[in-house]
Amino acid sequence: MAVNCRQLAELLIDFVSGELAEEKRIHIEEHLGKCPPCVIYVETYRLTIQMTRKLPPVPMPPQLVERLKRVVESEWGQGDRPSA
Amino acid sequence: MAETAGGTAAPLTAERVFNEYAPRVYNLARRMLGNDADAEDVTQDVLLQVVRKLDTFRGESAFPTWLHRVTVNAALAHRRKRATRQQRHTHDPLDTLFEGAGDGHHHASPVRPWSVSPDQPVLDAETQELIEKAMADLPEPYRDVYVLADVEGLPNAEIAEMLELSVPAVKSRLHRARLMMRDALSPHFEEVA
Repeated sequence: MAVNCRQLAELLIDFVSGELAEEKRIHIEEHLGKCPPCVIYVETYRLTIQMTRKLPPVPMPPQLVERLKRVVESEWGQGDRPSA
Repeated sequence: MAETAGGTAAPLTAERVFNEYAPRVYNLARRMLGNDADAEDVTQDVLLQVVRKLDTFRGESAFPTWLHRVTVNAALAHRRKRATRQQRHTHDPLDTLFEGAGDGHHHASPVRPWSVSPDQPVLDAETQELIEKAMADLPEPYRDVYVLADVEGLPNAEIAEMLELSVPAVKSRLHRARLMMRDALSPHFEEVA
């Protein structure tokens, strides 16, 4: 059974993770072969995931670092002071 | 905190917890709560819990998993305490995508390619800011799942357990969160016609 644009969008999560059943995957690929907007949609959905996965960590603000040092010191004592 | 599967070879010391894990706790809390001050409070709460229970985790590979769970629970508790849960109605992005476009055979508006390369190894500062802002704007139930899945890299089953949801519910929220993120980012990255 052929899929339309909406059905393709609903199945995208399993399509991009490779978890889609073979039959449905073939129907999606057939649809992509004749629907340029859906090709772009799938590509930009993938880009969204890929870019999010590349987000670097945000450094802790200096005042938080100091606050956490005090917490750790009060629990562990001066002998085990973190060096950060 | 994505090293849940492989275990941790080095022993857990106060210094290692402080230098390596506290920033991870802060980043997860900040992205779930979308607020620096709340994230700082949660980071302190979690660090205290770690400090008090560290002896039970020395040399144990289960520590990162436990820390993820404690951080998520602390962030959710903090949000409940502040009673900031959003009650606003969220439009289903799938409906928006095909609204007024008939029977699902056409997109409601033109779909344009992005001028972004998937091979770009590092995101520039402006792109990072756009993604962080789009995540912070997600409705909370969608944001939680998105952060845990696509930033932290946790498997759906683990997220389901943490958030007390079924796996299909996690997948449904994650998919809609990704669609919302795509829609939010699209105007910034679309190629100029």
